[in-house]
Amino acid sequence: MNVKTLFKGLSRRSFLGSAASVAGAGALSSSFPGMAIAAEDNVIKIGFLAPLTGPVAAWGKPGLDGCEIWADWVNAAGGINIGGTAHTVEFVGYDNEYDPGKARTGATKLIREDGVSFVMMLGGDTWPGVEPVADKTGMLFSTLLPSDLSPDSETLIAPAEVHPVYNVTGVEWLAKNKPELKTAVMCAQDDALGLPSVATYLAAFEAAGITMQDDPLLFDPATTDFAPVVTRLMSTDPDIICLDTCYSDYVHPICEQLFQQGYKGQIISCTADFYDQIIEKTSKEFMEGFIFQFPDFDDPAMEAEGINFKNANAFFEEFNKRFPGQWGAVSWEYAAIMDLWKAAAETAGSTDPAAVKEAMMAGGKGLHAFGEAEWWGSDLFGIDHALVGDWPVVVIEDGKARIKAMGSIPDWYAANGELLKKHMAAYGQMWDQRT
Amino acid sequence: MRNFLIWLIVAAGLIALPHTLSFSLQEILVFLVINVLLVVSYRLLTLTGEWSLGHVVIMGVGAYTSALMTKRLGVYVPVSMIMGALMAGFVAFLLSFPLFRMKGFYFLIGSFASAEIIRLLWKRFREPFGGPKGLKRIDSLADINIGPIQVDFFEPVAYYYFALIVVAVCLWILWRIEKSLVGLTFHAVHWQDKLAQASGVDLRRYRTLAFVLASSFAGLSGALLAHYIGTINPNSFDVELMVFVLTWAIVGGTATFYGPILGCVVLTLLNEVVLREMGFQQMRPLIYGAIMIGSILFLPDGLESLVKRAMAAWKRRSTPAAEPGKESA
Repeated sequence: MNVKTLFKGLSRRSFLGSAASVAGAGALSSSFPGMAIAAEDNVIKIGFLAPLTGPVAAWGKPGLDGCEIWADWVNAAGGINIGGTAHTVEFVGYDNEYDPGKARTGATKLIREDGVSFVMMLGGDTWPGVEPVADKTGMLFSTLLPSDLSPDSETLIAPAEVHPVYNVTGVEWLAKNKPELKTAVMCAQDDALGLPSVATYLAAFEAAGITMQDDPLLFDPATTDFAPVVTRLMSTDPDIICLDTCYSDYVHPICEQLFQQGYKGQIISCTADFYDQIIEKTSKEFMEGFIFQFPDFDDPAMEAEGINFKNANAFFEEFNKRFPGQWGAVSWEYAAIMDLWKAAAETAGSTDPAAVKEAMMAGGKGLHAFGEAEWWGSDLFGIDHALVGDWPVVVIEDGKARIKAMGSIPDWYAANGELLKKHMAAYGQMWDQRT
Repeated sequence: MRNFLIWLIVAAGLIALPHTLSFSLQEILVFLVINVLLVVSYRLLTLTGEWSLGHVVIMGVGAYTSALMTKRLGVYVPVSMIMGALMAGFVAFLLSFPLFRMKGFYFLIGSFASAEIIRLLWKRFREPFGGPKGLKRIDSLADINIGPIQVDFFEPVAYYYFALIVVAVCLWILWRIEKSLVGLTFHAVHWQDKLAQASGVDLRRYRTLAFVLASSFAGLSGALLAHYIGTINPNSFDVELMVFVLTWAIVGGTATFYGPILGCVVLTLLNEVVLREMGFQQMRPLIYGAIMIGSILFLPDGLESLVKRAMAAWKRRSTPAAEPGKESA
C-alpha cells in the first residue's frame, strides 16, 4: 500500500461510496455514489447520534425509544417505498455522551461502517465535532437545536423544533390570559442551550410588556445545590419565575426548592420532562398552572385537524406501555423528523441525502408535526433550514399537561423579530457572532 | 539487543495497528494516543507527591491557546501547538505561587478551585474564548500534497501517525526526566522530603518544576485534541474528564512509568470498545464503575502489579533451578 492510498482524503463521493459498499449495497456503491441506499436485504438504516447516558440523556434516549416505535409501525405498514420497492427501516444508535469528540467518532461509525442514509442528532455542543464529517461526506443531518444552523453547513436541517424561538408562544399566551402578572425573573444554565433561550425569553417578555426585575441568573452547569439560586430568584418577589431551557436535572430540584421556600407565583419553563415526578416531590396545587411547551400526546388536541403527527394518542399509549414513566420532550420529535424524511425519500425515490433534502424543502413549506410550516431562519441562523409554524402552549391542570393553545411563531416574529434579534445579538447568539 | 528487538516489534505494531481497525476504532485510537500523553504527564506531577484536580483545565489552556493562535493570528498549527504547551506551563508557573503554599489535600482542593476559575473565565469572556459554546472550526494541520504523497489530516490514520510521533517524543522526554537527577529528586521530594530539604534541596522549586513540566505536556495534549476535533468548549475540560484521568492513573498504578498508560488503554478499550460492542450503550457507566471498584478492591496496586507479577514469573521460569547434585557439591 503506498503513501497516497494510506492517507489520501475522502471526497464526498468516495465517502458515501465506501459507506454504501460497507453496507452491502453492491452495485450502488462506488459506481453510483449518488444513490446511497444502504440496502442490505432492503433495509434502510438511520443513524441516531445523541446522548444516551449522562446528564443530557433525557433529550436523547426517549427519542430513540420513540423511533423504535415509529420503525415498528412503519415496517408493519409495509416499510418505506423507494422507487417502487419496499424497504424496512432500522435505527442504529450511538451514545455521544454530549461530547464533540465522541460525536465525531459516532458520525464516522454510522456513515462509514453502518451505512446509514440519514443521521439525527440532538446537536448543541456536539455538532461542531460532527460538522467536518458532514462537510466531507455530504450526509444529511438533523438537529433539534437550530442554533447549530449556519450557512457553512448546507446539509444540516432543523425540521422538528425551532428551539428556543417557540418559547415566545408560552409568554404570549401568559400575557394574554394572565395580564395581571407584570414582573419576572429568570435563571438558566450558562451554556449553549441556556443562552439563546435567555435571549428569546427576554424578547418575549419585552414584547408582552412584562418587566424583568433582575438580570437573568446564569448558573454553572455543574451546579447541584439550587437553594441559593432559588433564594436569589425569589428575593425580588416576582410575579413570574422563568426556568428558561434548563435540563430536567435542574428543573426538578429548582421546582423542589421553589416549593420548599414557599413560592406561590407563576412558573414558566421550556420543558417539564417527567413532570409527574415533580408533582410527587412538590404538590398538585403547587404545579397547577405551570406553563411549558411540550405536550403529552394523549392530549385530545393532538388528534385535531391539521396535526400531522399520525396517531399521536396511540403513539403516547404505546410509548408508555413500552417505556413507563419515560415520556419526555423529545419522545416524539425524532419520530416526527422521520415522518418528514420518509415522505421526502418516497417523493425523491431515493435515499441520497441531497435528493431527500431537495424533496423535503421543495416549495419552501413542509408538514411539521403541529401543522403546515415554512422553511425559515435566514434572519437568525443565516440559512432557511428551520421548519417553523405553530407550536403548542401547555399548562399543567389538575396534575396533567394540557394543550391550551397553538401559538404562531411566524406571526410573533413578524411583529417582534427585531426585539429577538436585539437580545440574541446582546448574548452573542446570532449566527455570525459564533466564534 | 533484546530490548532493541522488543521496541522494534512495538513500533511495527503501532505503525500497523490502525490498518487493522475499523474507521470508528481508528478515531478512538487517536483520542487514546492523546490521552496517554495526558495521563503520563499527570504522573510526572504525582512523583512529587502532589495530586492535582486542575490538570485537565491546564490541558485546556494549551488547547485554547493553540486554537486562538491559529484562528486569530494565523500561526502555523505545529507552532501554535508548541505555544499552547508553553502557555500551559506558564499558567502552571503562575498558579504555583499560591498553590505551593499548600500541601496534600489542601493542594488538591486549591488546584480544583484555581482550575475552575480558569474554566469560568473561558465561559465568561465570549471574546476571545467563545463563551459557553467555545471555539469551533479550529484549523486542522494543513494537508500535505507533495507529488505522490497526499496526506489529509482529517483522516484518523494520518492524524494518528502525527500524534503518535509527537507523543512518542514526549514520552521519551518524560522518561529521561524521570531517570535523571531531577527525576530522582522528585521522588526524594515525595518520599523523603525532610531529608531532601536537609540536603539542600529546595522542595518548592522542585514541586514547581514538576508542575510546570507536567502542565506543558498536558497543554500539548490539549492542542493535539483541539486541532483534531476542531472544536473545544469549557465543558470539554470539566471535572468529569479529570475523574477519568484520576481513574486511569489509579487503576493503572503510578509506581511505574507504564502503569497510567496501562490504565488508560485498558479502561478506554473497555468503555469505548468492549462495552459498546456488547450492546451496553446505556449500561456502560454502571458496568464501568463496577469494574473500577472491583479492580481497586482486588488490585490495590493497580494493573501494573499484574505486569510485575507476570515478569517475576517469567524470570523464575527462565532462570533454571539449581540441580540437586550441583547444590550438594
